[in-house]
Amino acid sequence: MMQRAFTSHLWRYALILVAVGIALLPVVWMTTMAFKPHTEWVSTPGDLHWLPREPTFANFEYIFTGETDAYSITHERTATRPIISSLVTALLGTAIAVIAGTLGAYAVSRFMVGRNLPLGVLQLRLFPPLAVMIPVMIMWAFIGAMDSWWGLSLIYGIVTLPFAFWLMKTFFDEVPREIEEAALVEGCSWFRVFWKITLPMVKAALASTTLFVFILNWSDYVIALLLTRKEWVTIPVYMNSLSSAMTGQMYGAKAALGLIAVVPPVVFGIAIQKYLVRGLTFGALKQ
Amino acid sequence: MLTPLESQGRKLGLYMTLPAQLLLLFIVAFPLVMQLYVSFTWWGPLDGTPWYMAYESANLFGNYGDIFDDSKLWGSIGRTFLIVAVCVPIEFLLGLGLAILFAEKFVGKRVFYSIMLMPMMIVPAVAGYMFFMLFQSTGPINDLLSRISGTEVEILWLADSTLAMISVMIADIWQWTPLMFLILLAGMVGVPEDQMKAATLLGANAWQRFWRIVLPRMKMVMIIALVIRTIECIKIFDILYVMTGGGPGVATKSISVYILDLTFKDLEWAYVAAVGLFILICLSVFAVLGLILMQRAQRRNETMPA
Repeated sequence: MMQRAFTSHLWRYALILVAVGIALLPVVWMTTMAFKPHTEWVSTPGDLHWLPREPTFANFEYIFTGETDAYSITHERTATRPIISSLVTALLGTAIAVIAGTLGAYAVSRFMVGRNLPLGVLQLRLFPPLAVMIPVMIMWAFIGAMDSWWGLSLIYGIVTLPFAFWLMKTFFDEVPREIEEAALVEGCSWFRVFWKITLPMVKAALASTTLFVFILNWSDYVIALLLTRKEWVTIPVYMNSLSSAMTGQMYGAKAALGLIAVVPPVVFGIAIQKYLVRGLTFGALKQ
Repeated sequence: MLTPLESQGRKLGLYMTLPAQLLLLFIVAFPLVMQLYVSFTWWGPLDGTPWYMAYESANLFGNYGDIFDDSKLWGSIGRTFLIVAVCVPIEFLLGLGLAILFAEKFVGKRVFYSIMLMPMMIVPAVAGYMFFMLFQSTGPINDLLSRISGTEVEILWLADSTLAMISVMIADIWQWTPLMFLILLAGMVGVPEDQMKAATLLGANAWQRFWRIVLPRMKMVMIIALVIRTIECIKIFDILYVMTGGGPGVATKSISVYILDLTFKDLEWAYVAAVGLFILICLSVFAVLGLILMQRAQRRNETMPA
């Protein structure tokens, strides 16, 4: 009996290690690539070095300053602007989604108004953005929102609104009504109850929702591809411009930028692990 | 009759839903009407006329008629469904297997769990770039194969139409198996422990316990996971576009890539509008079916004796 339990444990660990290895492999490869000088970017099969032989920060220097002693090619546009653009639009989009979503979620959770809202926001998630972006592009060109920080933020806000709404609704549903009712009897107005009592109670949940929505906005590629041209391109769009016919694939530089792009969502994602299931299933499942 | 407090609450509720309602109206409802309008014309961004004058080139159902003769569109729909049909079941089975491995307590569980979730938090476009590097002919995948086989392997993964498709599928499976795992594990944890103990006492082995107790309880969770993944997988774009750009040729062109090409290369926006609406309607039918499935499973779950 003991023997069997031991072997089954061994099997479990072996399988998990394989899975963990596969999960890590691409990430590890990109990380090492980010520190490799360009002589180590390409190699012949069977003679490949996983760790950089001469680790260097040249790739990071290159994407931030546009030039480095290591490479003869210079790049006119550095990554600074796209990183700022990604930050600004993701943050503003998150603010729009969380504010509109939280207010709407509380109203639907407590007063049963706006019954069209839950289904309306859910539908938003269904459609491939590309299938519904033509009118937005026409509209954006018409009002001059193309390639602007506010135009992109606004779309991010609406695209992630469903997640903010559903997450906050499940959290509000869990707050016991008795506390609110007691305050109402004391003569508090509904809004004061919401602002002073309910909202502070869901503070932690609100923070998690914000991080979750931020990850989603930060991860976007297709919307930025459609709605930005030059000034406000975000990291993923800029990343693809790092290779051209003239320069070839800038493997190391792209990997360095990719690494920078990957850090915030992974850190935040691990921080809000507890609520991931709830967020990703629109509150249908709670862990 | 509403009490004063209730009517005060209702009024506040209306104000509170206002931001969300406005966003829905201006960025969802209005554009949809506009899309419908444009889709009945030949209008394009280079016409020189503003979009509201599109009626000048009205063609009624001309665009919609074209959809049925558009072999490129149907090709991309077919490829998208091939990706969904291969990826979603594999992700489901792998996710289920992982969830079973993680169902019991063991040393290091938390750390391994966090690592397993990492792929789905990677920015999809960056994940696409990771796999673009891995599948280069001089990349690590060929290197690993070379070392295992002992001969020099130089497979052009992304230049061959079949292999490019397989590469894209592998990347999608890598990124989204963790989502299946996460959802399914959450469902597995919900199975009451005393029931499992009772079954063990009655002599049920691990397989019977899983098949008879865990699986029926997980039905709803499984349906939710499958519906969500199917919907998301139909939208597949970022990973695929960064890896192959839809190529070689049209080998990995999904619905989204096809629409992007129509939008930027062909500039036939009125036709894109029609295609978009067509796909929207098809997906809505799908989604309604999925919702019905989910609700039915939920109801059955609720009536089940605890």
